[in-house]
Amino acid sequence: MIRRAQPWLGTLVEVSIGAMGGAAPDPQNPADLQAANQAINLAFARIGQVHRLMSFHDAASDVSRFNRADAGEMLAVDPHTWAVLELAQQIHDSSEGIFNIACAPRLVAWDCLPSPASVRPVYEPSAAVLRCEADGMVRKLAAGWIDLGGIAKGFAVDVAVEALRSAGVTGACVNAGGDLRVLGSEPWPVAIRDPLAPFRTAKTVQQGEGAMATSAAYFSAKRHIGQQVCALVDGRNGEPLPGSTSITVQAPRCAVADALTKVVVATADTQHPALEAWNATAFII
Amino acid sequence: MRYQPLLALSACALCAPAFATQYLSAEQAQQLMFPDATAFRPQPLALNAAQMQQIEKLSGLPARSVNWRVVGAFKGDALLGYMVLDDVTGKFELISYAVGLNPDATVKQVEVLTYRESHGGEIRLPAWRRQFVGKSAAGGGLTVGEGIANISGATLSCTHLTDGVRRIAAIGQVMLKK
Repeated sequence: MIRRAQPWLGTLVEVSIGAMGGAAPDPQNPADLQAANQAINLAFARIGQVHRLMSFHDAASDVSRFNRADAGEMLAVDPHTWAVLELAQQIHDSSEGIFNIACAPRLVAWDCLPSPASVRPVYEPSAAVLRCEADGMVRKLAAGWIDLGGIAKGFAVDVAVEALRSAGVTGACVNAGGDLRVLGSEPWPVAIRDPLAPFRTAKTVQQGEGAMATSAAYFSAKRHIGQQVCALVDGRNGEPLPGSTSITVQAPRCAVADALTKVVVATADTQHPALEAWNATAFII
Repeated sequence: MRYQPLLALSACALCAPAFATQYLSAEQAQQLMFPDATAFRPQPLALNAAQMQQIEKLSGLPARSVNWRVVGAFKGDALLGYMVLDDVTGKFELISYAVGLNPDATVKQVEVLTYRESHGGEIRLPAWRRQFVGKSAAGGGLTVGEGIANISGATLSCTHLTDGVRRIAAIGQVMLKK
């Protein structure tokens, strides 16, 4: 296995290659090592591109441009951003609004995200803030801020897996801070953190081709002005979701698994209809 | 004598991180960042007070150390860039990493060398950190390529690492820029 890690999307992203052209690369063989490293370089380059487009912190990102725009404005965004916004809308619709990228004003109010502007929009959970239009355009419908922190890591993993595949990789695992996807038929062991003791393994899962994402509040939970808050928000009402459990969702695509974890965190329902709609399953630890 | 097994156990608990991975040695990282280089020369930096102030102003972060581990990458006599080695401690983890800089001191590439998590408290213990810090190549109980399986869980942010990269970028601007 050849494995590297770089910081992207606010976390550590790990790319591990287990097979190229059907065979395990030999780290001692210079040709194997070079081919694997070129594939990994390509994967990280694609992840870097997603990072630059979707970062809440980077003033030049599509997300920041959207957040600064006025209501009614039409914006041209990168096809990747458009695809994520469209997918976010679909998952929002199939989860009765639990998954909602427009929760950013809450995260800013709790100091989980920096404020993108001095004037803060009124937070209205039920109001749509955007609509994806034809030709990669996005219409801002109402004043508001979006944050793709609940889906972009998964999307970046998907994009990286496609890059590896195009570079001749036949077995790999890409892991962005717990949101991961396996390429190839060979399963990879994945250790799932114990929510009550996050530095220990609660269980180990053999993950075959497909994606897995886990959400829990143990690293982001904090008190803010007397209230217990965390980076997980119920999109229906903007309430924080600080539970003591850990939710894992398995789905064909990592972006979908990433987003759906929030639906199960909010409902504690591993049979939620949104899971079936997206060909996903979930378990709670 | 009867305490010996207990002592051995606690010493082991101190040196065994909960989750740990060694991705690259420093030599592998420099090779990756500068594949055309024919020579790598150590060029350690020592900052004076004025330089540290300048770095703090540029990065908005404390300069933290006087001494920095820097390697120059050369093709013949031509400078290709630098690699700066550093360790950062987060709330729960210790990360050794390398930042590749172009000759104009812009960031070319960041690679994590080793990643170690503690069970909790030890990360703040100087003795725990000391056994790993600066041992980005073999050492600290791990060899390259070794490590645990992939981990899935709540996302652990790496702000301290991105801050570390920002600090090194500022050091590059002040000290290394051609």
